[in-house]
Amino acid sequence: MSKHQALETFGRSGNPVFGNKFDGDAQFRDLPVTEKMTLDGTVNKTGILLALCFATAAISWNLPSPVLMFSGMGIGAILALVTIFKPTIAATTAPIYAACQGLFLGGITVLFEAQFPGIAIQAIGLTFGTLASLLVCYKTGIIKPTENFRLMIVSATAGIALLYIVNIGMMVFGGGSGIGFIHSNGLIGIGFSLFVVAIAALNLVLDFDFIEQGSENGLPKHMEWFGAFSLMVTLVWLYLEILRLLAKLRSNN
Amino acid sequence: MDLNTIIFGVLAILSLATFFYLGKMRASKSQRERDDRIDWTARKFSFRSCITIALGLFIAIYAVDLIFFN
Repeated sequence: MSKHQALETFGRSGNPVFGNKFDGDAQFRDLPVTEKMTLDGTVNKTGILLALCFATAAISWNLPSPVLMFSGMGIGAILALVTIFKPTIAATTAPIYAACQGLFLGGITVLFEAQFPGIAIQAIGLTFGTLASLLVCYKTGIIKPTENFRLMIVSATAGIALLYIVNIGMMVFGGGSGIGFIHSNGLIGIGFSLFVVAIAALNLVLDFDFIEQGSENGLPKHMEWFGAFSLMVTLVWLYLEILRLLAKLRSNN
Repeated sequence: MDLNTIIFGVLAILSLATFFYLGKMRASKSQRERDDRIDWTARKFSFRSCITIALGLFIAIYAVDLIFFN
């Protein structure tokens, strides 16, 4: 058995989304082929999640309402946490998560679009462009994720998360504008946004590797939903960061 | 439809098509058959290094904010 075949235990991954308790020793080896995770299934399920996200985003885009937007964000965040800790129910939670995120993204995109016309389609194009180009780089072996790569990306993601949490805390409890340059459209603010976009994009490579190895090792079928969910989480983050970056660039002119 | 919509719309559609086509194919041999692949069964790096880098990044960015924006 190669070391990668022990994948099914999935005990302690570095990626927050992948840090699941995957507690089955050799039980998956005996699964029938139709019950195993495949690349085909994961990509199809990602398509379903994207379609759901677009459908609800269209609703929120045409009927902009803070209630829809914030309820989508809140329920989406809760469902994301639930799915991370219990991937076996991903088939149920991932579609609802995608629908909720669609409501949130549709609402927030309307706000950006009102201020900077044309920004929405730019952000969508760049997000999917990044997804496709990194997938090509991964599949062809141009980018080869290693343990050090994972350490760097996971640490940087954790650092950014900490920064955002402190920023929100300062805005809510400090009454100020939080960490100023995160929102500034100056050179440092744009540089910061570029860095965050790069880290979000490189998280996609970790997602691809997880899905590739998961299908190689025949994880159970529900992990297709989990793989699709993890891609969605990263894509939503990447889209929001690209939207912010474009807004900074446009307001800087 | 303006040029902006056409360019980025086409980019989005082509990218999605690439994703749905290429995503179903296995990665190249050079990607799959190497010794330094990520082992998803375990965390190979120490939790301490992860926290150190994350905190270092946070402090560096916060320091930039304090120096230049306050």
